[in-house]
This record gives sequence, C-alpha cells and structure tokens, in this order.
Amino acid sequence: MSDDARTDGGTVSETSAGASDGALSGVDGYRVLLYLGLLGMLAFFLIPIESGLVTSFKTSSGVTGSLPFAPPTGATFTLGKWQAAFDALGRGLVNSALYAIPATVISALLGSFAAYGITQSDWKPKYKAPILALFVAGIFIPYQAVLVPLSQFWSMVPLEESLGFLWSLGINDDYVGIVELIVTHVAYGLPICTVLFRSYYKNMSEEMIEAARLDGASIRRIYRRIVLPLSGPMFAVVLIYQFTQIWNDLLFTLVLVQTESSAAAPIVLILAGLGTSLEGQDFALRMAGAFIAALPTLAVYIAFGEEFAEGVAT
Amino acid sequence: MGTLELDGVTKVFPDGDGEIVAVDDVDIEMRDGEFLVVVGPSGCGKSTTLRMVAGLETISSGEIRLAGKTINDVKPQHRDIAMVFQSYALYPHMTVRENMAFGLEESTDLSDDAIDERVTDAAGTMGISELLDRKPSDLSGGQRQRVALGRAIVRDPEVFLMDEPLSNLDAKLRSEMRTELQRLQDELDVTTMYVTHDQTEAMTMGDRIAILNAGELQQVATPLECYHEPANRFVAGFIGDPSMNFFDVRRDGETLVGDAFDYPLSASTLDDVGDVTDLTLGVRPEDVSLAGDATGEHTFSTVVDVVEPMGDENTVYLRFEDAPEGDTFIATVGGLQQVSAGDEITIEIPEETIHLFDGNSGEAVHNREIDE
Repeated sequence: MSDDARTDGGTVSETSAGASDGALSGVDGYRVLLYLGLLGMLAFFLIPIESGLVTSFKTSSGVTGSLPFAPPTGATFTLGKWQAAFDALGRGLVNSALYAIPATVISALLGSFAAYGITQSDWKPKYKAPILALFVAGIFIPYQAVLVPLSQFWSMVPLEESLGFLWSLGINDDYVGIVELIVTHVAYGLPICTVLFRSYYKNMSEEMIEAARLDGASIRRIYRRIVLPLSGPMFAVVLIYQFTQIWNDLLFTLVLVQTESSAAAPIVLILAGLGTSLEGQDFALRMAGAFIAALPTLAVYIAFGEEFAEGVAT
Repeated sequence: MGTLELDGVTKVFPDGDGEIVAVDDVDIEMRDGEFLVVVGPSGCGKSTTLRMVAGLETISSGEIRLAGKTINDVKPQHRDIAMVFQSYALYPHMTVRENMAFGLEESTDLSDDAIDERVTDAAGTMGISELLDRKPSDLSGGQRQRVALGRAIVRDPEVFLMDEPLSNLDAKLRSEMRTELQRLQDELDVTTMYVTHDQTEAMTMGDRIAILNAGELQQVATPLECYHEPANRFVAGFIGDPSMNFFDVRRDGETLVGDAFDYPLSASTLDDVGDVTDLTLGVRPEDVSLAGDATGEHTFSTVVDVVEPMGDENTVYLRFEDAPEGDTFIATVGGLQQVSAGDEITIEIPEETIHLFDGNSGEAVHNREIDE
C-alpha cells in the first residue's frame, strides 16, 4: 500500500515539474498530433452509434428538425419509439432465440468433438489431413452460392410431415422454418468451429493427454473429464462468434422463413421492414429497433468477455 | 511379478522416402523392484524406448513383456503402468486431490471412500497432505513434481516410468528430490524405468544403468561397473564428470606411441591388447597424479594451460610439452595444491589406471585394475 502511494506520488510530482518547466517548451509536437489523430478516429467510430442512439429517443418532428447527432431537447424527447419497436420485435426476439441459441450450442459442441477427433485421437495423419481439408473448404463456401440448392434441399426433405406431432400440439407449422434454420446454421457453422477448436487443441499439452491415457481413461472419458473442462476459453470465442453470425444472418431467414408475416419470423426479418411505409422512413423507430436487435449479441459479449479475451490470446 | 523384458525392441520412424531407426534392437531385462536408469545424449532413443513401454509409441519389431505377458498390443490404459512426465502433465482444472484420484477412478472399481483413503495415504508419503485442495497453478515447481509422483504412486502400478522428471527443478531441489526418489522407490519396491540425460542422476540413483547411443544399447551394468569397466569408448566418455581423457595411440612393440608422448606397457596389459595396433588410451582425470620428478616410465612433463578451482579440488587443463597449443587434457588435483596457469609440472599416469579401446570399433580391450 505504502509502495503504491509512493509510486503515485512520484509520478504526480514528475509531471507537475514537467508542466511547470514552461508551458511551450514542454509541448511535444508529435504527441499533440498523435492525440488529435486518435481523437479524430474515436469521433469517426462513435458518431454513427451516438447518432443512432440519440435519434431513437426523438419524435418524428425531432428527427427532421435537428441534426442527426444532436441530442433530443425537451419537446422532441420520447420513449415511444422504443416502446413501438419493442412491441413490433418482441415475437421476433423469441423466434430468433429459438434457433440462434440451439444452433450456436450444437455447432460449438460438434465443432469441439470434431476438432478433438482430428487432433488428439491416434489416427494416422494421412487420414486426418483430408478430413481437415474438407472442413477448411467448408469455411470458404459463400452463403450466396448455396441459397438455391439450400431451398431445393429443404423442399425435398419431408421435415414438416415428420414433425407432425408438434403441429398437433397446437404449434404453428410455420415453425418448421426454425428447425430448418437450426440444422442449416449448424451445418454451415461447423467448419469454422472445428478449425477454431483444432488450433486450440493442437496447443494443448500432449503429455497431459498421454498421462490421462496411462491413467486408464478411454478417449471418450479424456474428452469428458480433461479436454472439455479445459475448453472454456475457446467455447467463449466460438459461442460469441457463432451467436453473432447466426443472430444477424438475414440471408438464410429470407430463404427458409421468407416473410415477416410468418408466425416464426426472426427478428432480422421484422427489422428489415420496421418503420418503412409509403409515407417514408421512421428513422427513430428503425434506430430503436436496431438497438433492440443488437442487445442479445451485446449481452453474449459481456457474459463471455473474460473467457473470450483468454481464448483469443491463446 | 513386475519383471519387464525388452526383447529386440526396435522403433523405425518413416522420414520422407527413407526411414530413421530411433531404437535399434534393444534387449533389457529388469528384475522385479529394480531401479533401472536409461541414460544417453539427447536424441539417442531413450525417451522413445520409454514411450514404447508405456504404449504411447508402437513397436516396429521386437517384444515387450511385463510379468511374462507380451504387451505389444495392449493399449496404454490397460498396461498397469504409471508414468511421470518431464512437464508433470498435471490436469490444471483439477485440485491435487482430483489429480491423484483420476487414475483410480478411471482404472479401478474402488469406492469413493477407498479412493479417498489411498489418495490421502499417498499424499502423506509424498508430504503433500496440506496441498490436496489446491490447484496445480498455485504450486511451486517442486510441489508439482511431488504431486506428479504422488499421482503415479497412488495407482500402485506394476511399473513406474519416469521421463526426466527432475530436469525442470533447480539444482538444489533436484539433488533433494534425487535422494527422496531413491528412498521412495526402495520403500515401494516397484520396478522403475527412469530416463535421464544427466549422468549424475544415472550414477547415484540406479541399481543398474542402461546406456544408449544413437538408438543402440551400449552397456547395461551397475553404476560402478559402467564407471570402472566401460564396455566401450562411448560409455567411458559419457559416464564421469569431467569426462575421461582420450589419446589416439599406435602400439609399437611394447610401447604406445602418441602424438606427444610414449607410453610403455607391461606384459599383462599387452596380453589384453593382443595384436590390435590402433588404440585409444583413456585415463580418468582423477587418476592423473602429480609426480615429484620425471624419472618414472609413466611420468610426463606438462604445462598448465588453465586452472578451474572448485574448492575441494582443482580441475587443471594440461598440455604435453611437445603437444600443439590448445591440445589439452584434464587432471583433477586436490584443492589445496598450488597450481597456476603457465607452470611446468610433472604428472604420472599409473599403468593400473589406464583403459585401452580398439581405435576402430571403440570396444574396450583393457580396463583399469580394481582393488578388490
């Protein structure tokens, strides 16, 4: 404690001594430029977010009557747009969560299994390499290229018929789109999850795995008791990444659920049409909606932030 | 019981189009309860040998038998072998107690209470009872080492395998653990195969030493046999610190002729040499003694090049008067002897202390005499 105090005291007296040396001679031109540059970049990145936030609290006349980044004044301030956006997006939030959470968890788990198989199992490398190559190739397939095959595939699979018991329970059969989204996102997320986990497992101590083998654990038990508990940081990375990807994806929802009038419409579909009408755009409503749609991804970042930093560092 | 036999064990690694023989036809037989140290320079195949016994490497040819049963195709988890790794390989997310219990939970049907009792016992033996609820990251290197050993002994296996377990410790702790490991092995009486590159560990710990070089077994013998009766020039040079001095010589009648000296041999030594003419003369630094004057037939005039005082003794680098600059050999003399660089001193290399090796094959043809 006393050490801290002394260090702090030292720094303070040093800087004050430097400042009192002469107001002009102490100024370092390079530093001034550096800080000006940094401030400029900060403003550049923050102004769009700030503008969106203040706009979402303005009345329609407030939006047209003031600069985008100016905060709302007394008369133009309203919480009504947030209320309206929440009313419109509420069911979309639930629908999105219904497929984004399972798809994220399943793709992360399967990616972890697959990566464990192609790193720690004692298959010969010549068998592992082609499988890894397939996974890597999967990462580079653009979504746009698979949209048509994807919709054809789902029109051939009799998913709706085979899930008949769900609809007989009173669930709207539009929700078959949610199931399709889960399977599709798991399939397209699996390659990147596998590759991320693979690099993590490659760095895991080989001797530790060997010690577990000699301790009598089977390959499945080693995963359960050693590898999985140690995968926390990489799960944070993959969960955040996958959740953001799946939550924000519009393309697959357009193909598989198609309309915002569907009972199963995800938030991105509803958001796309929110505040747009023949009379023009309701910018405040759109901004409020965008922030509501972004909240879950933000929550996931905050929840796994610490592990995320650890996972990215390794 | 825990006899371990390696019979013609060979390991070949593919390397591009060719292949590398890492372990070449190694035969070792270990008695039950024996402490065998496998020693050799890095890359000599000692770790590969150990890993084959553990089942972590496949065996290219040959056979490994544990308690009379061939275990070539037995999976590591079914071999009843415990191994201590150089990096300790503790499970970082488990407490010490969980680390030690893991093997028992996975390989036995013991009840939780029975496991807990054995863990507590083993922790007592290793003196880590108070660490049981800590995580490995909270432990010092020496403590982790003890946990790694504890994790091995709690299993009560047929065989312990240890892969340079002490090399990550500082010098003082290492010599403490060396003694402790020996005591422990004595107490538990479990067959132990211990791999190291440190010849001090090999000399002090093992019942017997197996010396490997380039994948080939050089000698398996007690430490003193390896020291005093090395099978070949490699063993002679590897065991002992500072290592043995070697001089390339040619036998000319009854005399060895070197670059800088002549060394007459007695009749009995000549008998051992037979008709070999290219020889290597070996003499340990501690057998080179200071002589009063150069009158004996095995005394030589030398110049002191460098002196390294160690306190109890001095390591002296000497050069024969006729030898070129930089061509030195080593003698160790008492710490109180006054020797300094540049001095001209007379040394004696007594004939009963010399070793002679075949100059081509390196095989020992004559070893020093030992007073029984």
